[in-house]
Amino acid sequence: MINTYKIGVFDKEESFISSIRLLQEQKIEIYDVFTPYPVHEVFHLLKRKSKLPTAAYFFGLFGIIATLAFLYYTSVIDWPVVYGGKPFNSFPSFIVVTIILTIFTVTIASLAAFSMRSKLFPGRDNTIFDFRATDNMFVIVVVNDGTDKSADEKASGIMMKEGALEVIDKELENVKA
Amino acid sequence: MKKERKRPEKTDNLTLNVNVNSDEKDSHLSEMMEADFPGQSSSRRDFLKVFGFSIASAAILASCKRPIQHAIPYAVQPPEITPGKSLYYATTFFDGHEYAGIVVKTRDGRPVKIEGNDLSKFNKEGTTARVQASVLSLYDDARLKDPAVNMQPAEWETLDKHIIGELARINSVGGEIVLLTSTIISPTTIKLINQFGASFKNFKWVQYDAISYSAILEANSLCFGKAVIPDYHFGKAQLVVSLNADFLGTWVSPVHFIPDYISRRKLDNKEKDMLRHIHYDSGMSLTGSNADIRKKIKPSEEKVLLVDLYNKIAERIGADKLPGESFRDDLSGLADNLIASKGKSIVVSGTNNVDIQIIVNRINVLLNNYSDCIDLNNNLNIAAGIDSNMETLVNNLTEGKVKALLMYNVNPVYDFPGSEKFKSGINKTELTVNMSVALNETVGTAKYECPVHHYLESWNDAEIIPGQLSLSQPCINPLFNTRSFQDSLLKWSGSSILFHDYLTSNWEKEFFPHSDLTDFRSFWNNSLRNGVFYYTLAINEPVIISKEVLSRAVSSGEYNKTAGFEIIISESVALGTGMHANNPWLMELPDPVSRMCWENVAAISPKDAETAGITTGTIVKITDRLTLPALIQPGQAEGTISVSLGYGHTNSGPVCNNVGINVYPFIKSFEGNRSYLFSVDGIENTSTESQLALTQVHHSMEGRPIVRETRLSEYKNNPSSGNEKHKDFEETHKSLYPEVTHIGFHWGLAIDLNSCVGCNSCVIACQAENNVPVVGKDEVRRRRIMHWIKIDRYYSENQDDPKVYYQPLACQHCDNAPCENVCPVSATNHSSEGLNQVTYNRCIGTKYCINNCPYKVRRFNWYRYTNNKEFDFNTASDLGRMVLNPDVTVRERGVVEKCSFCVQRIQEKKLLAKLENRTLKDSEIKTACMQACPSNAIVFGNLNDSESKVSKLFKDPRCYHLLEELHTLPNTGYLTKVWNDETINS
Amino acid sequence: MYNRKIRGPLIEGNRTLGQITADVIAPMEASPGTWWFIAFGISSLAAIFGFYAIYITVTKGIGTWGVNNSVGWGWEIINFVWWIGIGHAGTAFSIFLLILRQRWRTSINRAAEAMTVLAVMAAAILPALHMGRVWLAFYIFPYPNTRGPLWVNFNSPLFWDFIAITAYLLISASFWYLGTLPDFATIRDKTSSKVKKAVYGFFSLGWTGSSRQWIRFESLSFILGGIAAVLVVSVHSIVSTDFAVGIEPGWHTTLFPPYFVVGAIFSGFAMVMTLMVIIRKMYKFTNYITDNHMDAIARILIFISLIMGTAYATEIFVAWYSGNEYEMFTFFHNRITGDYTTQFWGMIICNALIPQLFWFRKIRRNWVGLLIVSLFINLGMWFERFNIVITSLTKDYLPSNWVAYKPTIIDIGVYVGTIGIFLCGVLLFIRYIPMMAISELKSVNSIGNKKED
Repeated sequence: MINTYKIGVFDKEESFISSIRLLQEQKIEIYDVFTPYPVHEVFHLLKRKSKLPTAAYFFGLFGIIATLAFLYYTSVIDWPVVYGGKPFNSFPSFIVVTIILTIFTVTIASLAAFSMRSKLFPGRDNTIFDFRATDNMFVIVVVNDGTDKSADEKASGIMMKEGALEVIDKELENVKA
Repeated sequence: MKKERKRPEKTDNLTLNVNVNSDEKDSHLSEMMEADFPGQSSSRRDFLKVFGFSIASAAILASCKRPIQHAIPYAVQPPEITPGKSLYYATTFFDGHEYAGIVVKTRDGRPVKIEGNDLSKFNKEGTTARVQASVLSLYDDARLKDPAVNMQPAEWETLDKHIIGELARINSVGGEIVLLTSTIISPTTIKLINQFGASFKNFKWVQYDAISYSAILEANSLCFGKAVIPDYHFGKAQLVVSLNADFLGTWVSPVHFIPDYISRRKLDNKEKDMLRHIHYDSGMSLTGSNADIRKKIKPSEEKVLLVDLYNKIAERIGADKLPGESFRDDLSGLADNLIASKGKSIVVSGTNNVDIQIIVNRINVLLNNYSDCIDLNNNLNIAAGIDSNMETLVNNLTEGKVKALLMYNVNPVYDFPGSEKFKSGINKTELTVNMSVALNETVGTAKYECPVHHYLESWNDAEIIPGQLSLSQPCINPLFNTRSFQDSLLKWSGSSILFHDYLTSNWEKEFFPHSDLTDFRSFWNNSLRNGVFYYTLAINEPVIISKEVLSRAVSSGEYNKTAGFEIIISESVALGTGMHANNPWLMELPDPVSRMCWENVAAISPKDAETAGITTGTIVKITDRLTLPALIQPGQAEGTISVSLGYGHTNSGPVCNNVGINVYPFIKSFEGNRSYLFSVDGIENTSTESQLALTQVHHSMEGRPIVRETRLSEYKNNPSSGNEKHKDFEETHKSLYPEVTHIGFHWGLAIDLNSCVGCNSCVIACQAENNVPVVGKDEVRRRRIMHWIKIDRYYSENQDDPKVYYQPLACQHCDNAPCENVCPVSATNHSSEGLNQVTYNRCIGTKYCINNCPYKVRRFNWYRYTNNKEFDFNTASDLGRMVLNPDVTVRERGVVEKCSFCVQRIQEKKLLAKLENRTLKDSEIKTACMQACPSNAIVFGNLNDSESKVSKLFKDPRCYHLLEELHTLPNTGYLTKVWNDETINS
Repeated sequence: MYNRKIRGPLIEGNRTLGQITADVIAPMEASPGTWWFIAFGISSLAAIFGFYAIYITVTKGIGTWGVNNSVGWGWEIINFVWWIGIGHAGTAFSIFLLILRQRWRTSINRAAEAMTVLAVMAAAILPALHMGRVWLAFYIFPYPNTRGPLWVNFNSPLFWDFIAITAYLLISASFWYLGTLPDFATIRDKTSSKVKKAVYGFFSLGWTGSSRQWIRFESLSFILGGIAAVLVVSVHSIVSTDFAVGIEPGWHTTLFPPYFVVGAIFSGFAMVMTLMVIIRKMYKFTNYITDNHMDAIARILIFISLIMGTAYATEIFVAWYSGNEYEMFTFFHNRITGDYTTQFWGMIICNALIPQLFWFRKIRRNWVGLLIVSLFINLGMWFERFNIVITSLTKDYLPSNWVAYKPTIIDIGVYVGTIGIFLCGVLLFIRYIPMMAISELKSVNSIGNKKED
């Protein structure tokens, strides 16, 4: 589907933040913002949250249980062997393996989760609204569905007033982000 | 079926020629064909075509993976041979110097292992390293493979024609014909030789030993009218005084003496007494190192000492004394002791000097030792060579008196002191024939080479002690185009019968009457099966010594003392006379005392070394022709240097050529006997260094409780004396985990340090049994020798006069093995029977186990040792590989290996017991080392069986475990060393 | 959190965001300069020597090394531990400083992490090569098979070691790569060359810098950071168990895990310093890698070196206090005295004494001083590993097994090779990957700069 996007480009973090605030006061829905580095206020304003930590915790839990089960199965049930007078289930010497394999599981899993949720993987080309966003500019993108003209002008007005270098309207087809 | 017959035959060559002769089968096949090729007219031939094709393709596919190796099956299966099952043949080892009754393990027709014959009274079940290694000499590539004329291969017929012709011609003119052999102890062969000689007008038979015992023979003939070496019953003695007689290492017949000697030194709770052994030594000999009390003397002092000792004894028992000054007053104590154990003592000297031997005899007569301990009647037929005879022969040769010289099993060009003279002499003869097993220096000097069988390929018999007979039988078909010495003699004496028949008929005539069996066949088969046949000769002549010979003894000249060095030339335990030097196992066998191999060195005392500024490895110049590396030998008598024989070959094969230096040429003749001694004014330090192939470089125990020792008196009061630590450790051991219990078997090995003399027989036995590779001098220098069992040797702190300790060290098979824990791939772990096992296939060679073994008994395959020209020893050639034991894997490069308690033997016997539906008997399983040990120092068995020998020994208060403080719980136990050295003032 | 009164701004010279980008990617735009090519040439020669040595080892066997029946581990294991140690800096650096919110790490962590990855790679070569049958190395994976005992031995420190290092390599690599995403995107968007655009575009995985990506980015880097923090401690503890679980005198001690971890960070930081001193000299990055940074590292090094000194003292004391004759022999007769005194005293001097020079501000602020001391520390740490591996093995329990150890040319070749490979990697890194985390620099640009207060 084709959509028109209003793109505000700022060179100052402060003006960028304040314009986000104003836009939200005006109940203008912000599609997304693009910054050269993480700006934490933005996360608060746009209520961005990540469930990764929670997920990671469960990955870890799974890792521990799986590893211990695996160790017990291999060295007690499947093929018990005596090493240096130890019993088959020589638990203390399993601890290390458990720690490492757990860490291993968490890493792999979280990486996968991250790559899936934020749609980042080799060769992926997400739509870039403004190339300067990765360099030195802060970019606000507002969806502009020509229905409500006033809101549209209001948005550009606010951004200009707050000191955006420029506000552009772009027509883009099936955006990936 | 009709259709098929009409079918043109052109495709026949495609089909497999399989006879499917019943129509029923045909119909089956055609049905199958229908199924496979519907609508097609089918036939057997079609089927077979497809069948054949599929097989062929399968074969091709398979062959793509690996080169095919062809195993040739028996055309006709011999009834007695089951592939994969070992057959044992009793036979006899005698190489002219050393005798042993043995059993040969053959596998699929090839001998792979030598074991002692427990029926042999002579060596009990024991063997020496050389006997063990002799099986490898069978597969030696340096063996002579064809008869030759002037070293050009020829046919036996042509040789025989020439030789017979020549002999006849020489005989016709009455020319002297000489047969030069090593000592022959085969009664049948002796008979044959005499018969052969009788057919000539002028025939002489000379027996020649590389190592001469002629002084003893001469002395005994002078004293007692018997030119024999008596049998010494150390087992009956209380006190043994030996002077330079290395009877546990090299002298006369260690394999005979060790069991006897040790039988009087074994201690258990019943037997609490042992013989005392006092040794006067110049070099540090194996015997000296085992003696309770060892004293250093210069060889030149020996005679004076003996005279003095004789006088001290004489005056105590009121016999007439000899002229001669008092040498050492501490001898009076020794004299007292000798008299105290009158009739129960042995005085013996190893010096090849008639006078000394006469005095020794006299002393023994005074002490009445001939009654019991020394047996002149049942003597040892070990060496018959008289030096003077050889001297005369060589003189005659040079004077051209000898027209024909036939040589058998001798190598005078190498080991006769005047070899140059001999060589020049041999050219003056008209007929020279050499009969030798393998290449040696003498080969090529004779015109006709008539290679003889290896002893494992030939029929023979032997009479080592009068009345103690043994048989040799072939254990394999002759590998090469050889012929036994006896068969040659028979041929040349014009007889057509084979020696085998000659042998049987002789036995029927001579010995069958002594047996209680009724028919000869059963007697013969019986003797063959046992390998031995004993009967008692009723000779028991009283020993009368002729007095007048004594005057000769003292009147005659003595060794001249010198300010410089006395150089002692002696046999080495590994190589002996050097006739087996091309055997890589022996070449890499470390000397028990110096712990080095692959070279002979000048052993020098620490004091002298210090004054001369010599360290181990410094190259010293003794004479112009004798320059070799020095080895600082603690316990070497000051002013003496020992150099061992057997090295410095020039033409005996790739292994031994140009290794070390040949010192035979330095042997002097003294009063008609070879004297293994010469003196120089001083030695020169060339101050160049060479790295020796040492297998042990640190010699002190650093005060660690490794070999635990005690004194006999203390042992009598408290059997666990010297071993107190053991109890403490047993009590204080704690473990995080519950102890693992072994149901059924729990294998253990006990080693009695008081019995082990360090003869190294076990090392070679293990090497032969377990396919342990030889790695060569450089690798030994890099401390990478592969032996699975080694005999550690430690010196006590006093470097000038140390006590010596021997400790066989193999894998201890710990129940809490540190090595098992650390192997990441679980290639080494614990068996349910307490074995510490290695899965070679699984090993990736991290070497972690090697590091983590506190005993450092694990070995690593640093290179590919098999089939690798860089390690051109026995495993590099197909011939040499024939010795490999098929029951044991040959390890790949990069794999860790170690002692397995001979697990293949354990399994073999377990299966046998299972088949016979019985439980294993104790000591039914014998590990290779245990089997080979002449002193029965090693005992293997089941620790779970409280009645087994080994568990009894484990309960012995003398038993301890090596490094037991580490709580590795080894399944190997050691029994403390007990010295019988309470200071008698001698 | 950060008091600029003490240390001044993180980034000096009031750079704008644009300038930061430009500065950092400048080296990748410009041609590297002759010194780079010379350095690269030398490093590759070293690497080639290494590959030759490796070839010989694999074709002929471990016999070409100096190891023997008693000393099963030689130079290769020494160097393995040494490299792993160095490989700890990067992660330790980013992780600990990340967790401690030490934001001055930003300008160094990228290089440090790159170094980690490369060092661990170099290290990983050695144990693999050390196997007698390296072609069967896969046996170490616990997978169902029919070869003898079905699974691997989970009690073996060597197995722990194997998985720990694998995990460590994976995590530090991914952590490092994650950090590069925004920067790759930056290059993608700034560069004029088509090729670069394509390549960096590919590796930036389609990064746009949207708030959604940033929030996940941050939480993921904290997750990985937290994990890696555990790993940094555990990996070298596990490497130490290779020895501590062993029974050899001088190995079997509970001190080892902390001792090894600290030692690792010590050598790692030293290596970071070595590289940093050179890089900032070469690329005039003094605005970003300020003297304050160097100063901070130097202070840390003093502290660690004191810990090391204490550890050495403790070892010796315990050896004596335990009354264990074998331990005592190893320490007093085969380290402090004996055949290997050079290595022992070299270790003490290089690790415990020389770093004390950092007490002097002059030296902390003088790049030559920093360079020399850091090199000494690296040498000292090598000596330490030699001490541990060799002296214990040469003379352990049974005197009959005592031997000497000498490396061969092949041993040396392998070592030189790993160094060459490492340096090649570093040089390629500074050529093709932003040496500093651009986005992070931007985020701390304001800190300590005038306009904030």
